[in-house]
Parts: sequence; C-alpha cells; structure tokens
Amino acid sequence: MISVFFQYDFLKYALYTGLMVGFLAPFLGVFLVVRRLSLIADALSHITLSGIAFSLLLGRYYGFFAGLNPIYMGAAFSVGGALMIERLRTVYVYYKELAIPIILSAGIGIGVVFISLANGFNNDLFNYLFGSVVAVTKSDFHLIIGITIVVTLLLVLFYKELFFLSFDEDQAVISGIPRRFLHVLFIIMVALVIAASMRVVGILLVSSLMTLPVAAAMRLARGFKQMFVYAVVFGELSVIVGLISAFHLDLAPGGTIVIINVIILLVVVLLTRKRV
Amino acid sequence: MELLQQLTFLERGIIAGVIIGFICPLLGAFLLVRRITIISEALSHITLTGIAAGIFLSQSALWLGFINPLYTGLVFSLAGSLLIEKLRQIYKHFQELAIPIILSSGIGLGAILISLSQGSYNEWYNYLFGSIVTVRLGDLGFIFFTGVLALVILIMFYKELLSISFDQEFAKTSGIGVRKINFFFSLLIALVISMSMKVVGILLVGAMVTLPVAASIQLAKSFRQVVIFGILFGELAMIGGIYFSYHLNVATGGMIVVTGVVLLLIAVILKRFRTGLA
Repeated sequence: MISVFFQYDFLKYALYTGLMVGFLAPFLGVFLVVRRLSLIADALSHITLSGIAFSLLLGRYYGFFAGLNPIYMGAAFSVGGALMIERLRTVYVYYKELAIPIILSAGIGIGVVFISLANGFNNDLFNYLFGSVVAVTKSDFHLIIGITIVVTLLLVLFYKELFFLSFDEDQAVISGIPRRFLHVLFIIMVALVIAASMRVVGILLVSSLMTLPVAAAMRLARGFKQMFVYAVVFGELSVIVGLISAFHLDLAPGGTIVIINVIILLVVVLLTRKRV
Repeated sequence: MELLQQLTFLERGIIAGVIIGFICPLLGAFLLVRRITIISEALSHITLTGIAAGIFLSQSALWLGFINPLYTGLVFSLAGSLLIEKLRQIYKHFQELAIPIILSSGIGLGAILISLSQGSYNEWYNYLFGSIVTVRLGDLGFIFFTGVLALVILIMFYKELLSISFDQEFAKTSGIGVRKINFFFSLLIALVISMSMKVVGILLVGAMVTLPVAASIQLAKSFRQVVIFGILFGELAMIGGIYFSYHLNVATGGMIVVTGVVLLLIAVILKRFRTGLA
C-alpha cells in the first residue's frame, strides 16, 4: 500500500513533507496549547490565505511574482498578522480575546477579495484550502526542508527559555529572559510552520495538526517531555495513515489527516475516562 | 405573496442582507460581553460539515433527496455548540481548547464530505464565500423565519441573557435557569449562523458577528449603545459591501468583510482622535 509512495516523485515529496510537518506542527503545538494560544494558529492560517491570494493576484500582472512560490507571500502575511494581533491586544485592553477573531475574519475576507480579483475560484484554490497529495512540487519540498531545519535549530537553541516562559511567565521575566523577543520569535516559527504545512494539509486545516494531537497527548502524558513524545507520535501517525488513505480513496488529504486525529482524540478521551 | 415573487434576484439578496446585517451584530454584542466571540467561528465551520453532509445525503439516496442542506447545517451547528460545552467539562484546565477542536474537526469532516460528493467546486465556493445572486425565494423565507425566531428568543430572554452575560454567578443566585438560558443561547447562535451563511458565506459569518461590535465598542458608552452602533455598522458593511461587490464584480462575502474592516479602522482612528483631544 505504501510502496506506491516511493514509485512516483510527487508522492515521495508529499510523504516526506508530511513526515516533517507531522513532527513540527505538534511539537510547536505543545507550546501553543500550554501558553493558551491555540487559537492563534487558526488566525494565522486564515491570514496566510490572504497572502497566497495576494501573490496569485500580483502574479497576473507582474512576471516576477508569477515565478515566485506563493508560500513566501503567505508566510510574510502570516508573520504580519501575528504582529497585528499583538498590536490589537493593546487597542482592546479590556477585550483582548477580540484580536483573534478580528484577524481571522479580516484575513479570510481580504483573501476572498484578492482571489475573486484574480479570477482564482478554481481547483487550485481548493487544493490550497483543503490540501492535496499531488500539489507538493520540488521547490515546495526544498522550501519546507529549509523551514524544518531553521525551526528545529531555533527550538533546540531556545528550548529552555520557551519552556520557562510557558510555565511561569513572571518568574521567567524576572530571571532576565527577554519575553518580547522570544514571543515574536515563537510566533514567527508558528507562521513558518503554517506556511510549510499548508501544501499537504490545507490552510483551513493546518491549525488542527497543531492542536488535536496535543489535546490527545495532554490526556495521557504524565510530564512535559511525555507530552511532546505522544503529540509527535499522534501527529506522525495521523499524517501517514491520512496520506495513504487519502491517496487510495481519492479524498482531500487534509480532511483525512484531521479525521484520524479526531478519532485518536476520541479513543484517548474514552480510555482516560475509564481510568479515573 | 405575489409581490414577493416579483422580486429580482438582486432585491432578494439585498433584503436578505439587511435582515442579516441587523441580527448578526445584535447577537455579536452578547457574545462580546460573554467573551466568546470566537464561538461563532467554530460553529460556522461546523455548519460547513452539516451542509456537506446534507448535500452528500441528498445525492447518495433518492429518498433522501428532499433534504435541504440549510437545515442539516442548522442541526450540525446546534450539535456543535452543545459539544463545545461538553468539551469544556472534559478539559477543565484548558477550556479554550474546546473551540479549536470543534473548529478543526468540523472543517476536516467537511473536507472529506466535499470530496465525496459530486458537486462542482464552484457550487462549494458559493457556500464558503457567499453569493448574493444565489438567494432563492425559499432561502429568503428561511432567512426571514430564522431571523424572526432569533429576534423572538432575544426579546423574550433579553433580561436573562444580559444578566448571564455580565455575571453568571449572580444570575444563578438570583434564580435564573442558567442551563436553560444557555441552551437557548446556543440555539440562537446556531440559528443566526445558518441564516447568514447563504449571503455572507460560511467562512465569513464570524466576521459579520465580530467586526461591527468590535467597531462599536470603540465608540459606545453603554451596552445599549454597543448594540445600536453595532447594528448601524453591520447594516453599513452589508449595504456597502453589496454595492461595491456588484460594481467591482468581486465576491460579495469578501467585500462585506472588507467594508467591515474599513469601518473598524475608522472607529479605531476616531477613538484615538477623541482621547487625543480630551
């Protein structure tokens, strides 16, 4: 069943990309969930859509953008959106939670306008929204390898600081950890991983790869390290099974990956309920 | 009735838009003070699953052909709002996880059902991003009746809803059936989302609920003002969006949201100006 994935180049790319994403997304997701920022992933993935749409629109008028991979513009918008969220939190001091729905809905609204200006309501858009096994090109693959290396390096370098910040923000600030810098760095990493995951999982479903495995891991793990292990195992499992079944059943891979995650989550919730 | 049948497709769309522009910010104001505006995003995404399920069912068996996807959307969205409450109990220490879980599983299941059903992608784009020209007379009826129903619930339980929104503990001790009111509130959200979907689009309903009240809270001095300004901004965004989308030939839902964003920016700048002068 899996052998077909090694016969064709595009399937090979999709599988390897899936494996990288299945590692990165749940890993960052643990920090996101513990810092109670899980919704930020949704907001950033929706604004990535406007970036991609903008790039497609520019591509119709300027040759330079037509050659450029839309992922770059998507990542740029998603980083911009992350900074906007921080800004909005200072505008709505009493209703900080408003920042995320505002960015989320503005992102997708602007995206839709760009798409319809570019006459882009076609099959390509569907692949961006819900992911596709066949859409991963060689240049995407190289870009995603780059993102994986950079994010992994940053995670190794700043693991302790992020860990500290996640559990006791005040204590961390007092001991001299640069909170603002780390927060921006972290958000940029999330934006990069969203851009990397988009091809396989689809924009609307990226965030689920960041939250669902972690939500399941949280029920089982007895420590922070175990949570990473469980989350990554669940993430990889869902990506592999999801990709294979999506290919054989001709479904959108993003959907199958998410549904497998939901099944894992359900099983875990049922199992842990008995234990208590 | 004859008068209704004579309406052009554009007039039908505009009437639907005006109803939605009135109800959405009204609900948004309550969601805002309860700090759960994001719930509208989660429920709109799960409505997509319901629509996809409805279309899939009506295609797969002849005797199920009568199913109107709008109604399955409504049922799913109601079930979703009850599930969110359940999930909040399961993840006691991380209650905010309930919403992303429902949001992503809703859209994931939706994606699978979409790829299973044989509709063209263009039909799906109408559901996702809204289209004013596809509002049929039956849809207008659905929007009208759900709108009236939502309004009736709001008027009947206005005081209780207000009390729960501001202080749940206090409401409980003063003898309000919090569980019952919360159920009606969930029903209300589900109704509003499924009625707005046809015009604004599933992915953009959340914007209609959030953006007008986010703008109005910048200027308002009381809850009543939040509601009034919110409705004003909602209608402006709706009518402006429809006008520009028609003349620029751009997707309606997107243009409505962009008009909402522009109004929000104006409100933020106005507020700056005011506090700067004072």
